Amino acid sequence: MARKLRVWVDQQVCVGNAMCETIATNTFRLNDNRQSEAVNPEGDTVEKILEAAENCPVSAIFVEDAETGERLFP
Amino acid sequence: MDAQDTTTMATIVQDDMFTPAVIADPYTYYGRLRDADPVHWNEKYELWAVTRYDDLVWLTRNHELFSSAVFKNDPRPAYPAIDESDLGLYEYVKNYQADQFIQHDRPEHLEMRRVMHSYFTPRQMEAWRPFVREAVKELLDAAEEKGEMDVMRDLATPLPVMVIAQMMGVPTSERGHVRKLAEKLLYIGRGEYDRMKPLTEGMRGMIDYVSPLVDERIVNPGDDFISVLASGEKKGVFTRHEVLVNTSLLLLAGHETTINLICNGTRAFLEHPDQWELLKQDPSGLAKPATEECLRYDSPVKSIQRIATQDVEMRGKVMRKDDRIRWFISSANRDPDAFPNPTAFDITRHPNQHVAFGSGTHHCLGATLARVEGQEVVKALAERFPNLHAKTEELEYQPSITFRSLKSLPVTLH
Repeated sequence: MARKLRVWVDQQVCVGNAMCETIATNTFRLNDNRQSEAVNPEGDTVEKILEAAENCPVSAIFVEDAETGERLFP
Repeated sequence: MDAQDTTTMATIVQDDMFTPAVIADPYTYYGRLRDADPVHWNEKYELWAVTRYDDLVWLTRNHELFSSAVFKNDPRPAYPAIDESDLGLYEYVKNYQADQFIQHDRPEHLEMRRVMHSYFTPRQMEAWRPFVREAVKELLDAAEEKGEMDVMRDLATPLPVMVIAQMMGVPTSERGHVRKLAEKLLYIGRGEYDRMKPLTEGMRGMIDYVSPLVDERIVNPGDDFISVLASGEKKGVFTRHEVLVNTSLLLLAGHETTINLICNGTRAFLEHPDQWELLKQDPSGLAKPATEECLRYDSPVKSIQRIATQDVEMRGKVMRKDDRIRWFISSANRDPDAFPNPTAFDITRHPNQHVAFGSGTHHCLGATLARVEGQEVVKALAERFPNLHAKTEELEYQPSITFRSLKSLPVTLH
């Protein structure tokens, strides 16, 4: 069974590069400020979500195991 | 609006952004614009000047309204003016530059950036820190042996090219050649009347030099970024010309800007001895916030251009479709609405959400690398040369509207 994740974007840091939305299209959505929000932590595979986090140019995306709290990224 | 404001506005409107006074001190001029007329039509150069932080962020994030395909779509002449006999060269330069991925909008921009984007992730760029540290050490060792240094010539200019040449997988014996080409490409942002000649030499030189490397790396890919771009050609995302132009772009973009970060940052420390003392107390711990403040306080890139894709209203002004718009990073980074005490150089400033790297989909691809290089330089200078001093107060800037570039920065080491 796939891990359940907790995913969030630090709005203080997010610059709206939007690569996350391209990589994990169901997980991330740009809000009215054109900044990213994690709207659905089950929107894409764990791999895709981690890839999106890895590709954030300002490391604004945080990923945790929802059950254990283990930090998966960064 | 009273008579005094009208006079001030008239003065601003007559101002030429390329005058020596504004080149020497952009902050007074753009600060006045930011206060009096934040969305300002400059008649002489036929462009809108946007100088407030919030407006810059809004503009850069609304990429549908503000096209980056400036060279392709701007019918106006080069500014400042060039030698008429160089108009043919200018056509070449325009077409060359139009092929850069930064000069594209979605969907092409996204397709092109995706090819290169994961080469430049924060984690990948952090892995270059040991190389950067060693390169800084090498350059400072050489300066120490000489007993004197021009930060521009001896540190800021060679360092980024050492890194990029390594990233390109250029053989050591050919790095001098690449460096000479890189120096010609620097004319892109300058104001000299005859700048087209060295610029086109640099561009043609890059095409001749890189093309055989691409041929090789399509067949035998490595982990260098020419191989990354070559894979884009293989996938059909890039034409050969685009691969060559974008290799040039990565060389220039990683060179000119980093030079400025290093020189402008060093200058800021030389002029703020209290901050220099603070840095010396903990160079490792303060290198990161110090670099961010260098980026904010005296940004390497002054302004960047867009073209309106439709009529857009901003602060009661209407920018027409196809109007040129320049957003001024330097001014936005000293906007009092965004930064308390904005004219203070404060290396402990936090938060520091400056826009030195822009914002939105075109946010600087090399930002992490620039940060790593800046941090390593700041740390090494503070550790090795605690008595660093400016040799002269008379410092001159290149006549560029895009870049904030010193011509030289001579210092005494001990």
